[in-house]
Amino acid sequence: MRRTGLPGVLIAGLVTMFATISARAEAPPSFAANGTLTACTNPTLPPMTFVNGAEASALAGFDIDLVREIAGVWNLRPDIVQMDFEGMFPSLSAGRCGMVISGVMRQATRERNFDAIPYYESAMVVIARAGTPKISSFSELSGQTVAIETGTSYGRLIEIENAALAAQGKPPVRVQLYPSEDQVIQQVLLGRAHAALSQDVEVLYRRRQLGGKVTTIFKPDIPDFHDFAIYIRKDSVDKARLEQAVDELRRRGTLTALAHKWNIDDTLEEAAATRGAPSRFDVQTFLSALVSRAFFKGAAMTLIMALLSHVTAIAISIPIALALNGRRSLIQPVLSAYVAVFRGAPTLLQLLFIWNALPQFLPIFRESWFTPFLAAWISLSINESAYQVEINRAALRAVDRGQSLAAEALGMKKSHVYWHIVFPQALRIALPPTINDFISLLKTTSLASVISLQELLAVTQIQVARTFQFTEYYSAALVWYLGIVFFFLYVQKRIERRFTWADRDKAAAHDA
Amino acid sequence: MTLNRLPDPEKRLSIRDLSKLYKEFVALDHISLDIERGEKIVVLGPSGSGKSTFIRCLNRIEPHDSGVLMIDGKIIDQKTDLTELRGRVGMVFQNYNLFPHLTVLENCAVAPRLVRRIPRGKAEDTARRVLAQVGIAEQASKYPIQLSGGQQQRVAIARALCMDPEIILFDEPTAALDPEAISGVVLIINDLAAQGITTVCVTHEMGFARRISDRIVFMDKGRVQEITPPEEFFTAPRSARARAFLNEMIRF
Repeated sequence: MRRTGLPGVLIAGLVTMFATISARAEAPPSFAANGTLTACTNPTLPPMTFVNGAEASALAGFDIDLVREIAGVWNLRPDIVQMDFEGMFPSLSAGRCGMVISGVMRQATRERNFDAIPYYESAMVVIARAGTPKISSFSELSGQTVAIETGTSYGRLIEIENAALAAQGKPPVRVQLYPSEDQVIQQVLLGRAHAALSQDVEVLYRRRQLGGKVTTIFKPDIPDFHDFAIYIRKDSVDKARLEQAVDELRRRGTLTALAHKWNIDDTLEEAAATRGAPSRFDVQTFLSALVSRAFFKGAAMTLIMALLSHVTAIAISIPIALALNGRRSLIQPVLSAYVAVFRGAPTLLQLLFIWNALPQFLPIFRESWFTPFLAAWISLSINESAYQVEINRAALRAVDRGQSLAAEALGMKKSHVYWHIVFPQALRIALPPTINDFISLLKTTSLASVISLQELLAVTQIQVARTFQFTEYYSAALVWYLGIVFFFLYVQKRIERRFTWADRDKAAAHDA
Repeated sequence: MTLNRLPDPEKRLSIRDLSKLYKEFVALDHISLDIERGEKIVVLGPSGSGKSTFIRCLNRIEPHDSGVLMIDGKIIDQKTDLTELRGRVGMVFQNYNLFPHLTVLENCAVAPRLVRRIPRGKAEDTARRVLAQVGIAEQASKYPIQLSGGQQQRVAIARALCMDPEIILFDEPTAALDPEAISGVVLIINDLAAQGITTVCVTHEMGFARRISDRIVFMDKGRVQEITPPEEFFTAPRSARARAFLNEMIRF
């Protein structure tokens, strides 16, 4: 590994190295400041780095354990920082991270700017349903559908292959993109995709859940998908020290133990293949998901977000509706534009805009007080208020003009006329469409999972990614959504029953 | 009958040259009239003659543009406190405009409670007494939708009476009533006059007009054409317009 001149020196060198290795390995690298080893990770790649369970702060995985072991070698305190994938390498350059360890492959392009220290061998794999014959090159996938995860470098690989296929006059590999790895594998299980691209550790990690239903049909030898690596800022001394620390752990058997712990050693592959497939619908899993704390919290978040947003929307919409229904004024075109824009733009776009684009213009929204909860509350309130304005306008218009005239003729003030005469009647008219909108909003909150709000659907997806039991968890979510919606339909019925004055038959029954 | 140029503060209502414009259209054209306490006035005239606009000016639901409107010696203009004015000048609408979400009792008690700040119990006691006076005490807890047209009309009158007004304006009170119900309204209006309440009533119903009027004000094209007692108006109207109008009515 080191450049040495003469064989004699080499032997001597090896002897001294062996003697001093433990002492040398304990010398900490320059990026460890104040006895702390800061490692940045993006915990979305089980089993390397992920959130295990319902708590977002509970990081786990091979990488997380490895950071703790390396810190132990150097007698440092490990400090693991979560961040977006895109933010990790800039943060490494800026010195906010000492190292990046996040299931990142060692790739030549990245090594131009950073030093990479490989720590675990991996391979890219092409998987398909059990029983699919093995292949020996990508070109055999010509004309087939292959599922891959959005945002990975697998897509680029297929593009290059397709260019080669096109040159030979063969049909290209058809690509389907999915936002998460569990959904990619599900397409293979369902037979919608012929094959999927993944990393062997992920497939090994999932083998229990998959129960031998998929098989690896091709293991291409591509250098860029060969090793997981820790990245540090370029520094040959630090690189050597980290290499030594990793070697030390390998020698001690720590890496093997971790691989076994996280179920990514391939000794169990045959055993897994012979295991029986899990049942189609596991009632036990469904029931325990239904009553789980995670689902209860998710449903509570959905309900709170919907209620809070709708109450805010109603509060915003009433003055706007009154202004739009009132005398002509300069503010009316502004309010009409507000309604048109927020009713016209897709809710998902509004959420993404407020969460991702707004902070670019106004740095104040980058601060930590601007949580996904707050962003979702603002977006959904504004969006819903635009709809509610139209409901309120129609309801206020539907109250006969003679009502306010009669009230004014009795000497009532404008505020009395509104509160005691117009609003109660408008409420009766607005109630059914408002509850209708509320039920719609309740389901729209699921969009907020894109900005990482932990509502019911986000919780469901996390549990599915962890367990691979789609049917059970989707069903549990369905039951929760329906339960909440039916409750509010019941509330609507109860409230409408109180408006006996609007219906002659009911009023008579009320009398009797 | 000739009127002074100046309004007479001794009269309940004294009106001089009252005019109202809707952009170019002259709705009321120099109306002058004195009305006594307890007097029953009926305003007749063809559609579009301005009679509804005229009575709506009297409680300033339609503010007039020029001329003088004086009630009990006080000039009514943009400086007038509308709450006080409308407490003194009640109104009964053609479609009654009862509040559908309130019971009959609440319809009658809501304005005294909110406008006069009378406690609920006291306002409802008054409302019950007034409902008995117009003959529908037993309907107090019903909603307007449960009542017949005649009963609704009585609630509308009771609602106005609960504010203890000196003048009540009626806008086509019999438009949707059967003959029996009309007779009921006649009794009530005559009873009001006996209590010293002045009534001004716009109507199309000739028989009804005859039975509830001390004087008929005949209007056409925003102007007062003639003011005469009913027996004279229906037998020997002075103006050519009134004669033509009556002929038209008889033919129907």
